[in-house]
Order: sequence, then C-alpha cells, then structure tokens
Amino acid sequence: MAQKTASPSIFAKRWRKFKSMKRGYVSLQILLITYGLSFLLPFFVSNKALIVSYEGEWHFPMFGYISASDLGQERIGEANYRELKELYKARDEGNWVLMPLYPYGPKESLLEMDGTPPHPPSSSHWIGTDDRARDVFARLVYGYKVSISFALIVTIIAYIIGVSIGGMLGYFGGLFDITVQRFIEIWGSIPFLFTIMILSSLIQPSFFMLAGLLIAFAWMGMTYYIRGEFYREKSRDYVQAAISMGASDRRVIFKHILPNSLTPVISFMPFAIVGNISALVSLDFLGFGLPPEEPSWGSMVKVGMANITDWWLVLAPLAALFVTLLLVVFIGEGIREAFDPKVYSRLR
Amino acid sequence: MSDKDLLLKVEDLHVHFPIHGGLMLRKVAEVRAVDGISFELKKGETLGLVGESGCGKTTVGRAIVNVLRSGSPDVEISGKLLFNSDKGWVDLAHLKRREMRPYRKDIQMIFQDPFSSLNPRMLVKDIIGEPLEITNPGIKAAEVTERVHWLLEKVGLSGEQALRYPHEFSGGQRQRIGIARSLATNPKLIVADEPVSALDVSIQAQVINLLQDLQEEFDLTFIFIAHDLSVVEHLSDRIAVMYLGSMVELGEAQQVYRKPTHPYSRALLDAVPLPDPTRVKTKDRRLLEGDVPNPINKPSGCSFRTRCPIAKPECAQNVPPVVEVGPNHFVACPHVDVDLLDQTK
Repeated sequence: MAQKTASPSIFAKRWRKFKSMKRGYVSLQILLITYGLSFLLPFFVSNKALIVSYEGEWHFPMFGYISASDLGQERIGEANYRELKELYKARDEGNWVLMPLYPYGPKESLLEMDGTPPHPPSSSHWIGTDDRARDVFARLVYGYKVSISFALIVTIIAYIIGVSIGGMLGYFGGLFDITVQRFIEIWGSIPFLFTIMILSSLIQPSFFMLAGLLIAFAWMGMTYYIRGEFYREKSRDYVQAAISMGASDRRVIFKHILPNSLTPVISFMPFAIVGNISALVSLDFLGFGLPPEEPSWGSMVKVGMANITDWWLVLAPLAALFVTLLLVVFIGEGIREAFDPKVYSRLR
Repeated sequence: MSDKDLLLKVEDLHVHFPIHGGLMLRKVAEVRAVDGISFELKKGETLGLVGESGCGKTTVGRAIVNVLRSGSPDVEISGKLLFNSDKGWVDLAHLKRREMRPYRKDIQMIFQDPFSSLNPRMLVKDIIGEPLEITNPGIKAAEVTERVHWLLEKVGLSGEQALRYPHEFSGGQRQRIGIARSLATNPKLIVADEPVSALDVSIQAQVINLLQDLQEEFDLTFIFIAHDLSVVEHLSDRIAVMYLGSMVELGEAQQVYRKPTHPYSRALLDAVPLPDPTRVKTKDRRLLEGDVPNPINKPSGCSFRTRCPIAKPECAQNVPPVVEVGPNHFVACPHVDVDLLDQTK
C-alpha cells in the first residue's frame, strides 16, 4: 500500500479519541472560548467608557487615566463615565460617550444607588450588588479570569519545575538523585497552609506572589512520577540504542525519553488545575489570599457567608465555581480515557 | 595470524556492578557479570556467544558497544577492548562518552526485543535516519530519506513504509527496522544481542538468512549472542560458551557443536530439544541439575563445579587453566579427558 503522508502519531490518535468523547471535548471548547473572551472583558464589562467624544476629539479611557475636568465633568480624580454620559445627553452639545454593554466595573462601589447595599438582582445589576455596593456580575466574570489564570500559571510553572527536576533525578540518578530526593521530602513536609497563612499575615500577597508561593509547594508531586518514568524509559532498549549511536544527553532526553514520559503530566494536569482553583478560593475565603478588592470567587463566597440571607451573594460564586470545576473535571476524565496506556500503549 | 586481520581483541575483560547498601551507601558487594574474558575477532567472521540467561553474554555485548556506563554510572570495567579502527588500535573499555563518539559508527548493535528497541513516537524514517544525523551532522534531509529507503529495501521492507510508526509493524518487521538502523552508518562490527529469540520460529529463519546475506554484501563482522545453540551453529564460524561470567569453551563452530568438550558445553547441547522422539529415548542425555549460582557470591575455583558431573575436590581450589584440546579449540577445564567424560555417561 503506497503511503505518501505520515501515519498518525500516538498523540494524534489519542487526541482523536479525546475529541470523539463529546463531554470532555465540549467542556474544553467552552472553557477555552470563555477564557479567551475573558481577556476582552474590558470591552464588555467595565465602568470605563470605550470611546468618549468631547469637543470633537476622541478619547479612549480604557488605555489610560483621564481626569474628569479634561472631559468637562465637575469631579475630582478620574471621570465617572456613566454620569458623563447622562451629562452629555442633558447638555446636548454633540459630545457623546460609548459605554460597554455592561457598564459596571468589578472594583467599583456604586455609592450613587438608592437604598443600602447589598442590592438584590435587577435589570441593570443582573446578580445584584454586594455589601459594598459592588456589582456581583462584574466581579463574577472578572473572578473567572483570575481563577483560571491563577490555576494555569501555578499548574504550568509547577509542572515545568517538577518535570525538569524529576527528569534530571531519573536521568542522572546516583548521589544527585538521593540528595535531591531527601531535600524534596523535607521541603514537602513543611505544612503548606500554615506557611501561607503566616506569610500572608505579614505581607498582603499580590497575584504573582501568591502564585509563586503555591508553586513553591506544588512542584514536588510531579517529580516522583517523572523520575520514575525517566528511570524506566532510560533502561529501555530504544534509549540504549540511541546512546550506542552516540546521541548526546540532550537528544536522548528531549527526543527519546521526554515524549514517552509525559502521560502523567497530561493526565494529571486537569485535576491539578481543579486543585489550584480550589486552593485560591479557599485562601481567599479564609482571607489569606488576594487583596480584598480583587474580584475573586473566594472573597465573594466570604462576603456571601457574612450576608447569608442575601442569597445571590452565596449562590452566584458557588454556582460559577461548581460549573467551572465540573467542566475541568470532564476534560480530565476525557483525557484520562484517551491517554489510557492500555490503548495504543507506548511500545506495542 | 597478524593483527591486521583482526577487528577486535578482548583481553581479560571484567565487568563488575557494585551493590551499595547501608546508611552511607558503601559498596557492600558486587555482581561480577563478566569475570575475565579474552577472545579475538577476525574481520568478516561471526562469533557465536552462548550461555544460559544471566551468564553475562549480553553484558559482554554492551561493554563492546560501550553503553554500560550510561545505565549504571558506577560500573567497574577493567581489561582491554581493543578495536581495530581506521586510526589504528583503540581501547574502547576506558573511553569516555565523548571520546567514544568517532567509533560509534563502526560498532552497532541489534537488540533482542523488537518492541522496546524502537522509539514508539518516532517515524520509521526518523528511527533509521537518526544514526546518520548523529554521525554526519548537517546531512541533507533528502540524502537521509534516500538512504533510509535504500536500507529499508535491503532488509526486505519497502521505502513507502518509512512514514509509519513502529506499532504498525509485526515483530519480524520491527526487527528488520532495527537491522536497517544498525546498518545505516556502514558499521564494521555488529553486536547482535539475541536478535531472533523474541520472534516466531518461521520468522527467525527469515531474519537469520537476512543477516547472512547482509554479512556477505557488506562485509560485516558479527558477534552473535544467543542461548539457542541451533541458531548459533547455523550462523557462526566460531562459538564461545560462557558460564557465570567466564568463558568455558571457545572453538570452531563445528568442533564445539559436534564434539563439545567442557562438561557445561556438553550439558548445554544435551539440553537442545530433539525433534525425533525415538532419538530422545535412545540418546543418552545428561541435563544439569540445580540453578546457576548467584553471581554476587560465586563458588571458589571453577565456578561450574557445583553442577559439574566430573567435579573433583581440587576444582574448589584454583581457577581452572585454559587447555588447548585441538587446533583453535580452548577449554577451561583441566579434567576434560575424553575417556573420563565417557565413563561418567
């Protein structure tokens, strides 16, 4: 049989299998699309105007601070664009403001609203406001971006570190392996939660500091798996064959061993993401996470707990968390099934 | 015989794997996988290396291609592995990985397990092309493809199969891919480590014939490692029998096969199953009893004495000297008086 194009690789076959399992594949698509869209959030959900046309000149407040007086508003500090829009309409001087679809920001306290916060859901505030009169819907969608970004950053960097160190342990072995493993055991026995609590009671961690702290405690798990994979793959004949041809360490590691050792990485990743989303939520809930004004689901649940009778404050973040985690678990399930080593196993 | 006709001289090769234990990981024992082996290899000949599992024959092969250190960095190798390269004689046993590189193309290996010896994530063309890329950095892709196709046809596959993955092939086909890979760099010496023992009998014959044809065509020298004597007899010019890390008999294939002299070689040949049931009854077969002793703790003197039918008390005292019992036929046993062997039958 003549064959002009290469046969599908093992990965291509597994990917095809994954795609054939609709639940995981659709979940992946939903998450990818919504996460991609969340980077465009300032265009859809924001208290800053997209375009302000003032005296024939266009301003784009999204890309920088514009003080209120520059736009003809009597106000100290930055312009309030919703009020500006009303103002221009009332004056009718040909100036106009184009607001995003949902003109409320995640950090903004809506002090102009009637009554005392929290406000129940209404047509202008879809899921109401919280105890500081911040729009819950805006916080929720921005919190989605924060949660996923945080989990992805922590998981990917922790895995890169874990795979590199585990790979070195398995490949070079010997005294290096023994020493570093002991270090990992000692490091791993430091209680993670207490350390983070102590540290964040001393300093208010930023997003990247918190990610760094989590990474420092999350990279060890993967080293065990990768170390074992490297040890096993290294003794296989195809690696011996490569060495007997004179292949360099780099070639042996990256061309031969690594591609055959990534199954644990790929199959654990979705569950690690679930774990890291939950970790951020728990830390924020306990108050040891991101600064309180940051839109995060954990602090939203905390606010909900404090105002338990205002159902939307509890229900909204929990439902969002539940759906997100469910989708990620569906992906993980699909991947685990598609990457089952019993199907298209490594060697047969 | 002058040195010029020789390709490889192995002189008193020892390969010991230390075992570490205790809190400080001191060396507590060692596995003496190869314990003093010497032989010479003529250009163009095939040396059959036979013995039970665990007798060190694979270790000898891997020592020659110099891959032992990468698997167990603390392995102790002593003795000489002199290889007649283009630049004169060179001792492979003590070369570092980088220093070994220029000689890699001359010495290639065929592996036993056709399933684990091919990287499952590489296309056949990349598997066979890899040695070319490593030994000639900067080689053009078209040149590699051309050579890969040519090699595939040489081993009885077609060039179109270059774009497939190993798992799309049968065991025999995979072994042919492995053979093509070992031929890619035009080697002088090929160490074939039980290349047919993982294959079906019908495929075995094809692969053996292929190896013979290739040997003629490319003027190859083989070290053929096997535990199946009938396979070795068919292919080899000379046969070396190993037991527990030492060589007990070395001679022309016909001599060793027709008239095995060392008691172990005799037992090994007696263990070959006979296809004719009436001959099984009439032939006097003496099979060995017991297991191979632990190579960590070998018997003193002659390592075979614990299972030897003609063992004497003095066998425990000294390592047996090598006796020349015929032209180019060496046996490591001083008691191999043929009459004595017949008496014990």
